[in-house]
Amino acid sequence: MAAPTRIDRAKGTWADRYRKLWTWDEVHFGSHSVDCYPGGCSWRVFVKDGKIVREEQAGLHPPIEPGIPDMNPMGCQKGACWSHCHYSQDRVTHPLKRVGERGKGEFEEVSWDEALGDIADGMLDALEEQGPASIVTLFTPEPGAAPARVFSDVLGLPTTDGNAEFQDFSPGWHLTWGLYNPVSTMDDWFLAELTLIWHANPVYTNIHWYHYLAESRYNGGEIVTIAPDYSPSAIHADHHQPVRIGTDAALALSMCKVIIDGGLYKKQFVQEQTDLPLLIRKDDGRFLRGSDVTEGDLEDQFFWWDTLTGTLAPAPRGTLATTGVDPALEGSFSVMLKDGSTVEVEPVFAKLQRHLDDYTPEKAGEICEIHPDNIRALARKVATRKTKIFIGWNSGKYYHGDLMERSMALLLGLTGNWGKKGTGTRSWAIMGYDGEAFMSEKEGPGQEAAQKLIAGMIAMRRLVAQSDPTMTTEMVQNRIACMAAEIGGVGFPMPPAFMWYYQYGYKERWNDPENLDPSMKRSFDEYVEEAIEKGWWDARYAKTYQTVEPRVLFESGGNVLRRQRGGQKLLLKNLWPKLKLIVSVDYRLTTTGLYSDYVLPAAQHYEKLGHSMPSVHHLNFVLCDEAVEPLGESLPDAEIGVLLLEKIEERAKARGMKEFKDLSGNPRSLEGLVDRLTQGGALRDRERAFDEGIRDNAVYGVLPKGTTLETLREKGSVRFTNWGMVGHGQSQGSTIKPDEVHNALRWHTEDKVPYDTLVRRAQYYIDHEWFLEAGEELPTHKEPPHHGGSGRRFEMTSGHNRWSIHSMNMTNDVILNTHRGEPFVFINDRDAAELGIENGDQVKLVSDAGDSKMAAKLTPSCRPGQVILYNGFEPYMHKDWYSQADLEPGHVKHLGFAAGYGHLQYRPLSWQPIPADRAVRVDVEKLS
Amino acid sequence: MATRNGSKRQLAWVFDLNKCIGCQTCSVACKVLWTQEEKGAEHEWWMTVNTAPGRGTPKDWEGMGGGYEGGKLKLGHKPTAEEFGSGWTYNYDEVLRGGHGRSKHLEKVSGSKSWGMNWDEDEGGGEFPNAYFFYLPRLCNHCTDPPCVESCPTTALFKEEGSGLVLRNEDECQGNERCAQACPYKKIYFNEARGISQHCIGCFPRLEQGVAPACVRQCPGRAAFVGFLDDEGSSVHKLVEKWKVALPLHPEFGTKPNVYYVPPLSPAPLREDGSFDEGGARIPPSYLEELFGAKVHGALDVVRTELEKKRRGQDSELMDALILYRWKDALGHLDRDPGEIVWS
Repeated sequence: MAAPTRIDRAKGTWADRYRKLWTWDEVHFGSHSVDCYPGGCSWRVFVKDGKIVREEQAGLHPPIEPGIPDMNPMGCQKGACWSHCHYSQDRVTHPLKRVGERGKGEFEEVSWDEALGDIADGMLDALEEQGPASIVTLFTPEPGAAPARVFSDVLGLPTTDGNAEFQDFSPGWHLTWGLYNPVSTMDDWFLAELTLIWHANPVYTNIHWYHYLAESRYNGGEIVTIAPDYSPSAIHADHHQPVRIGTDAALALSMCKVIIDGGLYKKQFVQEQTDLPLLIRKDDGRFLRGSDVTEGDLEDQFFWWDTLTGTLAPAPRGTLATTGVDPALEGSFSVMLKDGSTVEVEPVFAKLQRHLDDYTPEKAGEICEIHPDNIRALARKVATRKTKIFIGWNSGKYYHGDLMERSMALLLGLTGNWGKKGTGTRSWAIMGYDGEAFMSEKEGPGQEAAQKLIAGMIAMRRLVAQSDPTMTTEMVQNRIACMAAEIGGVGFPMPPAFMWYYQYGYKERWNDPENLDPSMKRSFDEYVEEAIEKGWWDARYAKTYQTVEPRVLFESGGNVLRRQRGGQKLLLKNLWPKLKLIVSVDYRLTTTGLYSDYVLPAAQHYEKLGHSMPSVHHLNFVLCDEAVEPLGESLPDAEIGVLLLEKIEERAKARGMKEFKDLSGNPRSLEGLVDRLTQGGALRDRERAFDEGIRDNAVYGVLPKGTTLETLREKGSVRFTNWGMVGHGQSQGSTIKPDEVHNALRWHTEDKVPYDTLVRRAQYYIDHEWFLEAGEELPTHKEPPHHGGSGRRFEMTSGHNRWSIHSMNMTNDVILNTHRGEPFVFINDRDAAELGIENGDQVKLVSDAGDSKMAAKLTPSCRPGQVILYNGFEPYMHKDWYSQADLEPGHVKHLGFAAGYGHLQYRPLSWQPIPADRAVRVDVEKLS
Repeated sequence: MATRNGSKRQLAWVFDLNKCIGCQTCSVACKVLWTQEEKGAEHEWWMTVNTAPGRGTPKDWEGMGGGYEGGKLKLGHKPTAEEFGSGWTYNYDEVLRGGHGRSKHLEKVSGSKSWGMNWDEDEGGGEFPNAYFFYLPRLCNHCTDPPCVESCPTTALFKEEGSGLVLRNEDECQGNERCAQACPYKKIYFNEARGISQHCIGCFPRLEQGVAPACVRQCPGRAAFVGFLDDEGSSVHKLVEKWKVALPLHPEFGTKPNVYYVPPLSPAPLREDGSFDEGGARIPPSYLEELFGAKVHGALDVVRTELEKKRRGQDSELMDALILYRWKDALGHLDRDPGEIVWS
């Protein structure tokens, strides 16, 4: 029990002044409705004289599983001074209309009515001129910012897919498991016996949760950091493996080699969970399929060789269980095909073994610049301990990141390291918030309507499942997601790569022979055209942008001119001139805002009702309450969304426009939009709507029964009880249990439920024709192409910094005072000495794509030949306004366009082409 | 030794350097609570975290002198705002609303021209691949023998009896800055606007309500502990007195500091051929000894021995204390939730 400490001698005006500083009139629960590796930290927000004075972590998270540390007091330095952003000088508090040249920073304050009227007119003009494809909404994941772009959902206009937009995708995980990111809650990290921090820097990016890693070490676990630099996340590790940039696949494959050669692999896990026992044909390298063997059999029936009976046997499609069979992992067998001919087949495992001959520790050691003994020792540890790969979204940002991830997944698969506590991978995964997502789908307001809706959805799922009795929950979920993308009922999610290709200026860049990856046997154009021709991608976005030019660009809560790999020069040259209207909704002026025609002022996080990112990592629904009124004329994003929709209706009516043809050519009404969104106005009030979402979630089973806004205001957060149907929760393949940490894929390992991949197992062998052509049917190592310029001395790596969430907080002057206070790049001290660069000197980084100016920061922790430019600096913080993205050519690996193959097909936030930005070649020049 | 120490109980801080990740949440929590809004305190970061080895804040503070030598008070250099660093403000309006476009970028318009409170962040020492560094959080040590108190010509500085905090009566402070010269840790700041010195107040208004100091309660790394040294149930007692794994910084300064550190382990260094030298030390032991005195080796041995026990599947009370299964155990008797306080 807290016993106050008496401070008797603190008397006088000075003491009372300090005492008064720490008082408040009101306290509210708060959080930040942003995309911060999804934080979900619950804060107390203190208000005095109508102004937020400060915030402090609530620290109220209850312990979950006995013997595991609690989550308190989640938070970070950004959260601890977020209120400072409310009153920062870059805050926007009135609608702004551009009066000068784009980018000049000359605006006039206008009324909401004028701003929204102009924007609505611009949209209607665009609809009339070229149709809905010309109004492009950029996706940003901030849950707080999403409601501003509700017009896009209601009208079915294209919204770019976030995974490509902000390049957060793990293609290798998708290729292997057919899932988005199966992750665990962070308290599960505590249980690992060995954690490989690999392609991640949690000391910077997981400030709120890092303690679980430190505590797992104190619990007897070992930490190994694998990174080219002696990263801040290496300092508390037991070993740092200084892998050469871009060679991680070779390291992982070499460990696989050691494990197989030493007989250390988990045979039963391999037979049951993976495709390694499945048979491939030696003649064409393709899987042996049912349709090869028997007339009328399935194309996706695969086989193994049962050593108990010495016969070919179909691998069951409805279960992973290997009861009564012992599938061969080695050997070569003859199989008679349906036409009477025979073909030699072998298990994937046998081919893999030969493939791994290229990755002996000695050979891989040369590639990775790691001592062979270190590889052997680590491999043995992985094979004998509960091992977790703590990974971020760094690997996916390498050109061959898919290969790195597939290799890491192979390491985990051989050693049985997933689907049990303390194992698996870690990346980022949001989960559902069904109450909000389905609100306008209900028949009417209230929870009875919610019950009816969910009953209908369950019935629909049953219907989908009826087509195939072996379909799993994940398969049904994914089919429905594909259908939703096709129908485009709510919004129209589209992979942006095609629009980029034809309209942003990437066609020229990606086809430049200088930039071609040697794996490509043909020109980039040929691959794109083939992908479109074969119908692998929906023509509504794949073909449309060959002719339709974007006219309206809508950015809410995002900052495309900082973010877009390829750089501002590309966008300002190719895209900007086509745009008649650029709208930015934000609470601050960003570089994109400065280049917009209208900036609409959004309320800050403590000025509106909201919730933090619902995340698998913490499983908490965290309330951001409205602590104060929005500053000036700023409005909650949800209100901006409704007002804009209302204005579109009003202006359409004025010009006699009743409908337009949507992307599928169907008529879409421009009437009754707000009514549809707000259940006839019943949910127009934000507090009512927010409470409705929570109550509906309780009906859907996502939150505990009886949860309401009122109950949330008592504790600030509540733990989720189920995944919901939207988001990535369904990618977890595991059930949320109230008193246990969460670990993904337990349905598969415990209940033997098949995976949603082509072969229904964790799939290491991809026999898609393009993968075979590229020699990537198995995980392999390939050197990163020399994008940026092959003659350049340095390789640039980057990643999230410690000081900001993307560019948010980067301009917060409290935070600016905690580092150099200006953009900088880390350079190895000896490299710098050779170039005559001293600590703090201004330098210019140059690549073929552009250049960027900043201060040099010297450290022996940076690998020689590497420069580390942590991203997030707002372009206008750099002299001339070019930042890290301006150095990145923004190449996309052609295999991202491969589809028409089992799990390689588009569904929102999933498989699609994504740009690479790691290992870009740059030169460093000292500025006088 | 002359002391003015009449305190009955001593509040102490412990920072576990194996958990500290240099995130600056403690620094920011302190700054926004006490010195953000005050004119003249722009450079005052009473709580800071620096990368060690490094020059820290104020720049090169370890060579600035102060403390006791042979029991005798020794005055040293009085650090300037320029040396403390930071205190920056920026030209937002010019960039965002000036109509200059790309010709103007966001720049510092005031504050230190040469240094910041965390200027040498993540630079460290050694040579790649055997570079090394760790994070060192620092605040006023609320010393048992505080040289600042002794050097003060007035009674403004005092050692508070009930808590052992070293506090300053700002009404009485005349700003002659002898305290800043005397403090060997250079944690005393001069507020030019008010003509007084200022330093960490130990969050006394929070302590009075049973709430832990902001730097401890807000530490997301769960690396910070607070409590009375003589409270046998407190984490600080266990770590400092029982297990003796938490040591003061620069004990040779002679001031008997009350902020303690669990010294840092570090990854195995690499030999010339790239193989691991499992028994070797990446952070030179001599450097750790320079910081924490000769006892550091014994403390690290205890940590390693207990860690090994856990790795063998045995119990370890020390490891369990450092794991901190329940966060509130870090807060000692100061575990009240501030959100429950209602000011009348």
